[in-house]
Amino acid sequence: MRKLLVELGGTRAVAEMHDDIVPKTCDAVWRVLPVEGMAIHANWSSREIMLHLHGEKILRLPPEGPVRRGTTAPGDIVYFWRSPQMSRGKQLAYSSEFQRELSELAIFYGDPAGGGLAADDPARSGRDSNLQVSTLFATLIDIPREFARKCEDVRHTGLQRLLVTRLGQ
Amino acid sequence: MTRVRITLGRVEAFAQLDEKNAPKTTKWLKGILPIERQAVHSMENGREVYVVLDAPYHIEEENQTIYQTVGDLIVYYKPAIFVKPEWPRHVRDFLVIGFVYERDSAIRGMSGPLATNLVGRITEGIDELAREAPRMRREGFEKMRISLASRDGNA
Repeated sequence: MRKLLVELGGTRAVAEMHDDIVPKTCDAVWRVLPVEGMAIHANWSSREIMLHLHGEKILRLPPEGPVRRGTTAPGDIVYFWRSPQMSRGKQLAYSSEFQRELSELAIFYGDPAGGGLAADDPARSGRDSNLQVSTLFATLIDIPREFARKCEDVRHTGLQRLLVTRLGQ
Repeated sequence: MTRVRITLGRVEAFAQLDEKNAPKTTKWLKGILPIERQAVHSMENGREVYVVLDAPYHIEEENQTIYQTVGDLIVYYKPAIFVKPEWPRHVRDFLVIGFVYERDSAIRGMSGPLATNLVGRITEGIDELAREAPRMRREGFEKMRISLASRDGNA
């Protein structure tokens, strides 16, 4: 089972990839590592920070694995892609590159994860179309308290640098 | 007709209180103004900014809606887990006042829509708030101040 190292503002967490469940997604993510950027906090999905993939690292992957119906657990790391026509609002908090198409790694760091409007609005799942892809491909092994605290800080103090690298290979 | 001034970071907006349909809540609100608290962006409702009112107020349901829209000034009890990273020992919700600045937002409780007291409408400066809130999502949240701007047409 391949592992990822997630670093945010001097804190670290380790995740295990779901190679056995979604091997193609895991391979695709693995190939673009390391990825780095400024993480922003969610405003629909509760305790989640996002790292937008950009430039050569952008991923446009098909759905893979079990259908997800909005239920999300703390520790989940999800590959998320949203087509331009699914854009919600002006997205002024994102850089211009992500105000249309969105390709990101979503890290759910605490409870409630994926709750709120994201969970209650089936239209947002896009599960009956390929306009929105949401694949659970890794899970944090435990969630270090200081890492979770740093994620929560992103909500209040703004963008923080996030780095995701291969671990042990 | 009472107007309130909302100052968020670098911008200012004005709201008109709905004293006809929310007489108790607006009376209470006028009584506690001015307030200045740390602004928080919603992480579960979309484009909502609010402040927590930490005094033990009891606000009755009044002029409620689950269909909040852009420019609404709302008062309600928000589940504590959406405010704090962990459930406080004996507190299950916090009284908040906030506003919605863009479409595609809706106030949620733990398992569905949450009714909120609609206490007013932002009549000036919503575009400025809609630019300032995303800036703060990137650069960090500052304080929000709500104060009386005028009462009965007087400045």
